[in-house]
Amino acid sequence: MIEFHGVTKAYENSTALRNLSFLIEKGEMVFITGPSGAGKSTMLKLMYMAERPDEGRIVINGTEIETLGDSDIPYLRRNIGVVFQDFRLLPRKTAFDNVALALRIRGMGESDIKPLVNETLKMVNLRHKTDSLPAALSGGEQQRVVIARAIVSEPAIVLADEPTGNLDPDTSSGIMRILKEINARGTTIVIATHNRELLKDTGRRILRLDGGNLLERGD
Amino acid sequence: MKGVTDRMSAPYTFKLAMDSLWKEKWINLLSALTIATGLLLMAVALSVLYNIQIATRKLPERFVITVFLKEGLTEEKIRDAVSGIKANPKVKSAKYISKDAAMKELKALMKDSDYILEGLDENPLPASVEVGINKEAVSEPSVRAFSDELRAIEGIEDVSYGEKLLSSIQAIKSGAEGIGALVIIILSAGITFVCYSTVKILFYRKKDEIETLQLLGATKGFIRAPFVLEGGLIGLAGGLAALSGIAGLKYLISIKLASLVPVLQSFAYPSAVAVYLPVAGLFVGLLGALIAIGRLRF
Ligand SMILES: Nc1ncnc2c1ncn2[C@@H]1O[C@H](COP(=O)(O)OP(=O)(O)O)[C@@H](O)[C@H]1O
Ligand SMILES: [Mg+2]
Repeated sequence: MIEFHGVTKAYENSTALRNLSFLIEKGEMVFITGPSGAGKSTMLKLMYMAERPDEGRIVINGTEIETLGDSDIPYLRRNIGVVFQDFRLLPRKTAFDNVALALRIRGMGESDIKPLVNETLKMVNLRHKTDSLPAALSGGEQQRVVIARAIVSEPAIVLADEPTGNLDPDTSSGIMRILKEINARGTTIVIATHNRELLKDTGRRILRLDGGNLLERGD
Repeated sequence: MKGVTDRMSAPYTFKLAMDSLWKEKWINLLSALTIATGLLLMAVALSVLYNIQIATRKLPERFVITVFLKEGLTEEKIRDAVSGIKANPKVKSAKYISKDAAMKELKALMKDSDYILEGLDENPLPASVEVGINKEAVSEPSVRAFSDELRAIEGIEDVSYGEKLLSSIQAIKSGAEGIGALVIIILSAGITFVCYSTVKILFYRKKDEIETLQLLGATKGFIRAPFVLEGGLIGLAGGLAALSGIAGLKYLISIKLASLVPVLQSFAYPSAVAVYLPVAGLFVGLLGALIAIGRLRF
């Protein structure tokens, strides 16, 4: 589902990822871990094409991303739901509208959108906050709106960057439960986290990064 | 992804444009008013040009050349001269005015003071022919060539026409047209630029939002469409404001000012053209927006 072959990515003054190779199979739930600055976010950004690799090949869902033009990128991104580290919620739109956005950009009609969004908000336990603006929601609630937006279109892949961020343990485990639930439906999930607690007894594959190097492929 | 299609949602695009129009209402209002002012000035410039056109178009119809005949020509010679004039293809009409008729006309003109003329024992006025020429021939060089042709006809003493008048009218006309064209070009460019800048500002103010939309998988078309629509609507609003402005101006000139400045009474209003102001506004709005969107890299 996701293939990295000798991927290197450098920013102006530092190399974020060095010669990375790994495979993530369809339906897997994989954790990427490592200290802050290890390159976890960069790895996810390469997957959703917010960044392009300097060297190496990346294959997403069978598509060699190097061959994609700018106008193809939107269509590939529609196979990927992203839970951004900084949320990226639109501040002037309600929880409903923020989630609906993922469907509206696809040109879906409002009559189809409404039941899908409401169902997804129910799944993340936010049905009662449908009309709230992000500023009126707690951190955990905002996080769940972001997850709802990422999964509402039923993408093949969900990428979650620090989905439990600074949340308390109870809220964190609630969020992990949602992610496991959608993984159980067949969605491939990649979670980047520096939170060691999350990795305990997961029984899932863990990719450990440090200073842009892959320490352990877990397979 | 069931039920997920790839068509653009027109109602949603419209909603986004309306939201943005309202959210940035002050910028948008100011732009629309600037556009309105530009269009208004353009309409005024066009009206003035239109009136100059009318004035100069009527002129050739009234334009006559007076051909003076030599003294003491026989009736036959006079007939020959007149038919010689009529034979010229540029001539539309030729009216013979005899010495006596000329005197009568002069007397009628002088009315109460015609006693001045009583003392003359001999009629000093020459016989003449008033020649009207085809409209197309009314231009300074063509009239000069024509009068030379007439002078060559036997029995003709002299040819007189308003050379100075003709050439100065010509100069006014082409000067006004040049200035008018320049004003219109500058204003069009200015208005388009206002739309361009407005859309660009709106775009930059939504940069974060646009980035998010892109990361969610929105196409460039989906992101651009509301801005183009918004630019068009701002232009349209400007055009409508200009239309009401020009209506107000017309009222002011024809009702209030014309009684003070009589010349304005004969001012012609190209009202049919005024209805195109909103169309022009819409057009420059769309154009400005498209340029802005086309130049943006995202
Ligand atoms: N946009 C950027 N410009 C320059 N350097 C960056 C940028 N993004 C990340 N980096 C650098 O790349 C390295 C990896 O960052 P990141 O992938 O965000 O790590 P992590 O998510 O594991 O904390 C860090 O040294 C960071 O400073
Ligand atoms: Mg990070």
